[in-house]
Amino acid sequence: MSRVYTLVKTADAEATPAIERNSVFVYEAPVRTWHWVNAILIVVLIVSGYLIGSPPPTLSGEASAHYQMGYIRFGHFAAAQLFIVASLYRVYWAFVGNEHARQLFYVPFWKRWYWYEALYELSWYLFIVDKPKKWVGHNPLANLAMVVLFTFLSLFMIVTGGALYAQGAGNDTLWMTIFGWVFVIWPNSQEVHTLHHVGMWVMVIFIVLHVYAAIREDIMSRQTMLSAIVTGDRYFRD
Amino acid sequence: MAAAETFYDVIRRQGITRRSFTKFCSLTAASLGLGAGGPAAIAHALETKPRLPVIWMHGLECTCCSESFIRSAHPLAKDVILSMISLDYDDTIMAAAGHQADAILTETREKHAGNYVLAVEGNPPLNEDGMYCIDGGRPFVEKLREMAAGAKFVVAWGSCASWGCVQAAKPNPTHAVPIDKVILDKPIIKIPGCPPIAEVMTGVLSYILTFDQLPELDRQGRPKMFYSQRIHDKCYRRPHFDAGQFVESWDDEGARKGYCLYKMGCKGPTTYNACSTVRWNNGVSFPIQSGHGCIGCSENAFWDQGPFYDRLTNIPYFPVEANADVVGGTAAAIVAGAVAIHAGVTAIRSTIKSGEKTEA
Amino acid sequence: MTIQTPNGFSLDNAGKRIVVDPVTRIEGHLRVEVNVDEGAVIRNAVSTGTMWRGIEVILKGRDPRDAWAFTERICGVCTGTHALTSVRAVEDALAIKIPENANTIRNIMQLTLQAHDHLVHFYHLHALDWVDVVSALKADPKATSALAQSISPWPLSSPGYFKDIQGRLTRFVESGQLGPFKNGYWGSPAYKLPPEANLMAVAHYLEALDFQKEIVKIHTIYGGKNPHPNWLVGGVPCAINVDGTGAVGAVNMERLNTVSEIIDRTSDFINQVYLPDLMAIASFYKDWLYGGGLSSTCVMSYGDIPEHANDYSDKSLKLPRGAIVGGNLAEVLPIDLRNPEEIQEYVVHSWYKYPDETKGLHPWDGVTEPNFALGPATKGTRTNIEELDESAKYSFIKAPRWKGHAMEVGPLARWVIGYAQGKPEFKEPVEKVLTDLGLPVTALFSTLGRTAARGLEAQWAAGQLRYFQDKLIATIKAGDSSTANTDKWRPETWPADARGVGFSEAPRGALGHWIRIKDQKIDNYQCIVPTTWNGSPRDPKGNIGAFEASLLNTPMADPNQPLEIIRTLHSFDPCLACSTHVMSPDGQEMTTVQVR
Repeated sequence: MSRVYTLVKTADAEATPAIERNSVFVYEAPVRTWHWVNAILIVVLIVSGYLIGSPPPTLSGEASAHYQMGYIRFGHFAAAQLFIVASLYRVYWAFVGNEHARQLFYVPFWKRWYWYEALYELSWYLFIVDKPKKWVGHNPLANLAMVVLFTFLSLFMIVTGGALYAQGAGNDTLWMTIFGWVFVIWPNSQEVHTLHHVGMWVMVIFIVLHVYAAIREDIMSRQTMLSAIVTGDRYFRD
Repeated sequence: MAAAETFYDVIRRQGITRRSFTKFCSLTAASLGLGAGGPAAIAHALETKPRLPVIWMHGLECTCCSESFIRSAHPLAKDVILSMISLDYDDTIMAAAGHQADAILTETREKHAGNYVLAVEGNPPLNEDGMYCIDGGRPFVEKLREMAAGAKFVVAWGSCASWGCVQAAKPNPTHAVPIDKVILDKPIIKIPGCPPIAEVMTGVLSYILTFDQLPELDRQGRPKMFYSQRIHDKCYRRPHFDAGQFVESWDDEGARKGYCLYKMGCKGPTTYNACSTVRWNNGVSFPIQSGHGCIGCSENAFWDQGPFYDRLTNIPYFPVEANADVVGGTAAAIVAGAVAIHAGVTAIRSTIKSGEKTEA
Repeated sequence: MTIQTPNGFSLDNAGKRIVVDPVTRIEGHLRVEVNVDEGAVIRNAVSTGTMWRGIEVILKGRDPRDAWAFTERICGVCTGTHALTSVRAVEDALAIKIPENANTIRNIMQLTLQAHDHLVHFYHLHALDWVDVVSALKADPKATSALAQSISPWPLSSPGYFKDIQGRLTRFVESGQLGPFKNGYWGSPAYKLPPEANLMAVAHYLEALDFQKEIVKIHTIYGGKNPHPNWLVGGVPCAINVDGTGAVGAVNMERLNTVSEIIDRTSDFINQVYLPDLMAIASFYKDWLYGGGLSSTCVMSYGDIPEHANDYSDKSLKLPRGAIVGGNLAEVLPIDLRNPEEIQEYVVHSWYKYPDETKGLHPWDGVTEPNFALGPATKGTRTNIEELDESAKYSFIKAPRWKGHAMEVGPLARWVIGYAQGKPEFKEPVEKVLTDLGLPVTALFSTLGRTAARGLEAQWAAGQLRYFQDKLIATIKAGDSSTANTDKWRPETWPADARGVGFSEAPRGALGHWIRIKDQKIDNYQCIVPTTWNGSPRDPKGNIGAFEASLLNTPMADPNQPLEIIRTLHSFDPCLACSTHVMSPDGQEMTTVQVR
């Protein structure tokens, strides 16, 4: 846990080590694979989910000749179940992988320096400071965004989605046993549908910010982003 | 005194033979693990047991549950009232009024303590000391608590008693609450719906009388036998949903062919009820069959899951009435716009900066 | 102390006070207090609506297309009539024209309600005021059969049939578990039927209970369920497809046949059971002509059942429209629901608050706040009222007035107006009933008259059901199957500001909904319902409402048994959930009792 921050702090406080090595291995292959698989799943989930809420125009002919909603829903459910598996796998990797693999699940919430650095990062985005600091993993602000906008959101989507799926699967299924408690909080599942749908839009917002921040940082900051999630190595410039 | 008409008399009159009656008693005895004398004991009980006293009280409601109840075709409401239960108090149909009516409540509490059923239609308002529903000069909620205290169990008829229904829709000016908020120490069976289906109402009562036990309830207190599947799960228009064939506008070709009403806001996919299977008024039809989507009337707070005619409904707890696409789409657009501006500012600044660098 | 009311009644609250609460066999919660003199004659009457739900405040800010479902839940007994009135109000505000078939199907729905509601009211809410159930045990089944066969061709009339019913009733009574008949006023001298008539009526009470569930299947076919069928702004939700692909997914020949068959049976039941029973019972009570109240002076009807879609003119409306004041049957006055000077509501004796309570407000401008406060002469406490103080606020019902007059509405009002207009479909049946009973026209203005008018209306409704069902089929035959107009379905097509009024004749009387729509949402919604008119408390001038007026001067056989009081109240078919929900957009904080 502490190593990444130790390294970072060293880099900041003494402003030397990171410059001497111009690349660091950050993202292990399983993390990178998960990232891209997940990216594809989320796109499938968003598109199919949107179409479940607003289906395409009516098809003519016999009902038996079509299965359009069926396929859309199958796509959504299949992607969702893969997403759950991938998420479980990712949680597992947080335990066995390197320290960067844990950043998605942890914010040093009670550490003063963390908030100081997050604020510093924010001032970089707000054009107040000219140069960002160098970070091996996610910078403190990105760390926060990932945990709140991605990890929590994913959990919320899995739980609400699982509960809605449980309704179709049936009352006496394992799905209902695992996710049925959701209906204690929101007894009317229409409400759960609505909140799940809102969650989809939050995910869209996350993607916009995530992609933009990655590209911008790649260009503007002093470390690589895009290639890092492909090859795993992060290069530091200047 | 002539013999009271018992449960046995009723089932005999409904065409059940002595033979099947005896068989039923044996099976019940076996399932209850009773010994050799069991079947005879059960038979004796059913042949002679007095009818179960039922007190049916009305709070804030519209009487649609009572109206639905009398629509029951099997068993006939007539047979339920004359032969299955002893409906000693029900403001809507009872002969007595005023003091004579009130006296029945007192008598029931004393004579049948712990042995009568309290059926509640409607719910109590709590604002203004409960005086938005006055019964006998006193707040309804007081009488409700009094009668609940001596009841064997409580039946919550309809969405009012179960969830609060229309008077509890936002902003709930009378502070109407479902009965389980004021009756805390009795088993409560919720039969939601606005109103519930007649045969579901009488079906639950018959189940209790026939098997002498309360039905298995789900997490929300509803009998599983009628409320464990969504309208959508058993809807006869489901093939059109799966195929992607929808009514797109009222009275269009899809409507005339009986396509799925999903796009017209049907709440079948989120509503637990028996409408698509038991159907209404002795199986004649149900809302979807007659061309209108389900409005979700057996679900908690369905009034606040509007509008009724959109698949995507308003976001609860959100100050402005808008659905997820409106709110989410707007937010996403704002974020995307902000990102674009941010990118622009970044580009301009870095151009200026590199210019400065070159000059330097 | 005797008070003379401006509308011609004298009130004296000196005698013994009798309280009836709850009044049963009605919809909702009603309380009545009367004072009787030494001769047990009612000299003062106070009627109190004792429930309030606040539906209008709940409607504010919602989609006007959803309003029908909310207002429908005002009442589950007159189910559908509020929904119809609501969609009419929205269509009026947004200038939406509905197709001819939609109008026809709506009429069928409304007439079905009239027939069903009147039948259930007569047998299950009202009959026990006239019929002594216990006396039926003493009847001779043979004589009962002879009586039944002498008044009707209805086939269920054999001595064996009545013997069976009597046997079942005997077992029931002797079980000691009297159920809904417990503590009734059996044996009271106020019951006047011979045992045979009682037995026949009890048999028909049970038959009607079985049959009423058939009538409403018409609602189930066109509206999906009953109670609370579905409606649609712009038309009706059920599409028609009699011969095309997928016809079984819509109203088709099988559905139309089902409706037709039910209409025929309904007509038979009303003509062969309801009406003959009504006449038989009336013949034993024709000396009991109390309960007239306002009916001989001030009656009103908005009219309903438009022959043509979107035409709400007097000519198109098959139920009459107009008002009679001062008992002048020679002149039926026109009414205008939009005129702010005509219909106004007062709250001086109602548990609501106005800035100036001496003035009335038109429903489009209705501003109200709940204000539960008891007068100084109240006996008991705030949460245990023994006797109300009618000089102060005493009801959750407001006091609506038409041009300052307290009006009676309902079947009797409609039939008196139709009679006064000389319309043969109203005049002839009324005259026949009066002739058959040997009573003068003035006998109409009574409890019995109200009950008789309801029966005649049920009969009329059954006839009109047949007419409109045939019309529906004729229109389809002519090639028009459309049931909904969706031009203005989307809120984007609506004006920013709109207001409208919808009206109908509910089984209980004139019903109006007033709506204001702003920025596609409901800005204000007000309903004035039949029982608001009939059950209204006093107004600032002291005019009493129809319930109170009708109870005056009625002698009671036994002041401890309120049989005469409930008999007359029941003749109005009160619906309290309807009458007592009116509230303005600005609700206020109120004290709350603690849960548990």
